[in-house]
Order: sequence, then C-alpha cells, then structure tokens
Amino acid sequence: MNIIVCIKQVPDAPSIRIDRERMTIIRNDVESIINPLDRVALEAALDLKQKEGGKLSVLTMGPSHSEEALRETLAAGADEAILLSDPQFAGADTLATSKVLASAISRVEPFPDLILCGRQTIDSDTGHVGPQLAEELDLPQVCGVTEIHVESNALVVKQLSDGFQNTYRVSFPALLTVSQGLNVPRHIPLGELEQAFSRGRVNRWGLKDLDLRPEEVGLSGSATTVLRLYKPPQKRKGEIVSGSSQVLAEHLIAKLVSLSVLDEDEAE
Amino acid sequence: MKTKQNKDWKGVWVFGDYRNYFQNRVTLQLIAKGRQLARDRHTDLTVLVLGSQIHQYAMEYTAHGADAVMVVDHPNLKNYQVETYVRVVSQLVEAFKPEIFLAGATAFGREFFPRLAKRLTTGLSADCVALEIETSEGMLVQTTPAFGGELLADIVTPEHRPQMATVHPGVFEERSHDHGRTARMLYPEVEIPTEERVQLVRSKPDQSPKGSLEEADVVLVGGRGLGSRENFQMLFELARLFGGDVGATRPVILSGWADEGRLLGQTGKSVKPNLLITAGTSGAVQFTTGIQGAETIIAINRDPHAPIFKMADLGLVGDAKTVLSLLLEKLRKRL
Repeated sequence: MNIIVCIKQVPDAPSIRIDRERMTIIRNDVESIINPLDRVALEAALDLKQKEGGKLSVLTMGPSHSEEALRETLAAGADEAILLSDPQFAGADTLATSKVLASAISRVEPFPDLILCGRQTIDSDTGHVGPQLAEELDLPQVCGVTEIHVESNALVVKQLSDGFQNTYRVSFPALLTVSQGLNVPRHIPLGELEQAFSRGRVNRWGLKDLDLRPEEVGLSGSATTVLRLYKPPQKRKGEIVSGSSQVLAEHLIAKLVSLSVLDEDEAE
Repeated sequence: MKTKQNKDWKGVWVFGDYRNYFQNRVTLQLIAKGRQLARDRHTDLTVLVLGSQIHQYAMEYTAHGADAVMVVDHPNLKNYQVETYVRVVSQLVEAFKPEIFLAGATAFGREFFPRLAKRLTTGLSADCVALEIETSEGMLVQTTPAFGGELLADIVTPEHRPQMATVHPGVFEERSHDHGRTARMLYPEVEIPTEERVQLVRSKPDQSPKGSLEEADVVLVGGRGLGSRENFQMLFELARLFGGDVGATRPVILSGWADEGRLLGQTGKSVKPNLLITAGTSGAVQFTTGIQGAETIIAINRDPHAPIFKMADLGLVGDAKTVLSLLLEKLRKRL
C-alpha cells in the first residue's frame, strides 16, 4: 500500500508575537515541532507500511526550515520527503493550501492508495485541509478516525463523531484524518535523527514544478482574508488571596458555596 | 465561488444538525444568531434540513425562529454522510445563492463544511466565537480562535460567496420556542445520489466512559505541585464528593500519577465545566488551552507569579496539598 502523509510544522508552546503589518505570527524565535496529530498520522502510516509494504512519502508545504520536520519523518522510517516551498505559496488559506497539496500528490508516482493527515493542527486549528484535499483530489474521506483495518479492497475505519461510534468501509484510494486515540507515536532515537539529517534527501518543489497558475496559490488563491489578529480581551477579573492555608481553605469554601457547589450547611 | 456581483447573493442559511437533538443545541443557537444577521441584511433566515422523515425537526426550527425551512427528505439522506450531503447541498447553494451559510462546529459540521466550501470554491472559517456584519456590503466578520484560543483572528471572505463559517457550540443563546410560529416551507427539487465510496457499516451511541471528563460540571486538575501520587489521589475523593472528574497536566502523566486519558491541554482533552479547580499547576500554555472554556476557574499555587493566576477567577496563593486536605477534612465531617 502506497501512502502519503501530510504534515505541518507548527510552533511549540506559542510564546506568540504578532506581525501586525502582515497579520501573521512571528515564528523565528519559537521552537518548531511536527503538529502532534500529524505524528499520529505518521505512526499509523509506518504501522501500515510494516504490515502491508509499499512506499511511504511525507509531504509538507511551508517555509524552508520545514525541511527539519521532514528529516524527522525520514528518521522515523519514511521513504521519501517532499517540501513544497515557494514565496508564492505564502499567505495561503486552506482553499489554496489544499490546491497545492493536491497538485503535488498528483505528481507523486505511483498515486497513493491512502492519504493520511492529522485531524487538525495546534496553530490554526481549522481541520479544513484534510476534507478539502479529499475534495480537490475527488477521494472519499473519513475524519478523526480512531481505528484503521485493512481488508482486501477496502479500509474499515472507526470514528467517534458527536456521541456516535461510527464504522465505515471506505474504498481505495482514500483520505483519512486521524484522531488522538489511534496510536501513541514512537519516539525517534537521536542517533537515527542525526543520520537522517546527514544523509536523508528532501525533494523541494516550487510553483514551477506544479501544474498550477500563480493566481491559484498563496494569498491570491485564498478566499479568506485575516482582518485582525489580537489577544482576546482578558475576561476574568481575578481575585488573588494569600494567607495561611486555613484562610485559603475558608476562601475556597466560601467560593464553592457562592457557586452552589456546596450547600452552606455542608460547609459550616 | 468568486463573484463580482455579491449583491446577487441574498439570505442567511443555517445547516440543521438535528442528531442528538436534545443535547446538541447549536443549530438552535445559530437560528437565533442567524436571524439577527438576516435582519441586519434586511433578509430572511432559512434552515436547511436533510434526512429521512424529518418533519418534526422542521417544526422545531420553525418554533425556534426560522423564517423558512428548506426540507430535503429522502431515504438516501438518513445517515449524515459527507459526500452525499455535499452533492445535495452544493446544488441548492448554487440554485438559491445564500449570502451567508452557517453550521455548528460539531464533528460532522467540521467534516462536512470544509468539503462543501471547497466544492463551492469559497472561504470558510472554523469554530467561530463571534459573527458580526461589518460593512454596508454585508461583509461578515468571523472571529475564530487560533493557537488554542491564545489569539483571536477576525476573518472575512471579501469576494467569494457564500460566506461560510462553522460556529462553536454554546457561544450564542437560543431563542425561547413558540409552537404558534409559522415559517415558509420549501421543498426544492434536487438530485439525490447514493453514497458509494464510504459505506456506513454501523453507528451506535458512544458508550465509552472517557466522555465523562469532557462532560463533567466540576473538574479538578492536579499538577506536579501536589508533590506526590498520594496527594494527587485527594482530587479523586473531592471529585466524588462534587460529582465531578479529575484532569491532569503533562508532568503528572509523565510521573505516572494519572493515566494519559486524563491529560488536558494542547495534546490532550479540552474541558468546559462550570467550575474548574487547579491544584499545583503553574499554567503553561500547552495546558491552559485545554481549560480556558471553563466558566469559573479557581487556582491554588504556591508561586504568586504563576501564569495560572492570570486566568483564574479566584487565585489562592499557598500550598495546594494543605488547602485541599483542609477542604476534605471539613467535607468529611459533614458526611
């Protein structure tokens, strides 16, 4: 089974600064990680590769340094890594992003049987790219899967959705986005990581390598515009109390009574 | 789709998501908000309902304030299936050209709306927490959280229609219902496909107990500041007394004081209880993204400068273990 995993490099523990001119996050001084759910997708792909064989490719669109994230996936066992990087791709919303990813996937030989994505990223958190990529490639989709089983000519997957446990049979080729519960991603040993950094090969594709026009990608291929980016107004009017543990416990109980979590007589 | 003639697009639509009708109130909340947006635009609010034998929902949506209800009733639409629904709804959008189209950010809404927006080549914002009309041209400002709520982004869709958004459940208030109300009922002609590539094998209500943390009214969260596994156990006793549940930070999971299923935050669960008490947690962003939906937060921590106090309604500066054991002692006496 040939698989493509789409990943995104995201800032870790956002100590966020905003570029007010461009309405984007300043990412330079923040450590980057592979989006946690994309690692779950990668782990699922490694597992399937081990059982079923086939080629595992990893794809990302992003700035040059996203290459680090791809090398990490090579260290984990991916066969091929593709970085889609081009100044023209910048500022893309999910519509334009899925366009670029789809175009790149169409170029990968052979066309994958399965595309895996994390259900959503921890930075923009939309969860749009998976389903929009499926639409662009005209593939069936199931989002947020918690189990994947391979049958001879179909996948059987489970999904938790709005209080229902759904089981689907999905024909190949297909796109799945994965949920937290699917697996626990492996730890990548430092030694292998270092090796992947020295010998791993990352293919770089830009706009000229894809069958797309400039107006279909990046800012100009996007339907949405960010008007403003801002810190939410502080909604809590915090009361801070210090004192002995006894005093603090009394404050706590008084608060619990005022919230009706405790009855007054219980607290006396 | 991209349009030079935005004025040809008129009306506000809400997708009627009626599964779990009595728990899932987001459609009703959107009817209330959508009506207000429709009034701002001097137009109507239409609820679109797809399914099989769904007349009762059309009646409910009417009672809750819809001006019109568009019903597509067909056996093939019985299950919520993304591809079938996209096919049907995209035909309707192209025929009726609504200016604004909203859906609840339910699991299905977040799976269905992105694909629909892509089919229609229009913009979509995710999990909005506010919606306002900003200009006379009817630009819908869609406020969405980014970085787990650390930032808010105001997003617009200037040149494409419809303007689409999924909306976070619970941010808008539903209207009281009135069974005397009437609405226009629309039964459009539309081609109904059969789902071929994704077959629903089974669907059953989720029985797994792990939903209880997300649904608890009271959540107690411990951090490593509690000092030991034994001290952490106090949270379970308190949770029993309050009828709540227990969450944990990453360091606690790593120390083995609680299992992974209790992890809150960026890589764990998000909770929205009425009351959340944190004990011995400093308030790292990776953790606080999972608790900011709490109505009231009480934080206990020894360090007066801990970031957790910035988001607490009541901050108690002291030793969490001692304060909690005093609380337990008082409560035990009453039992």
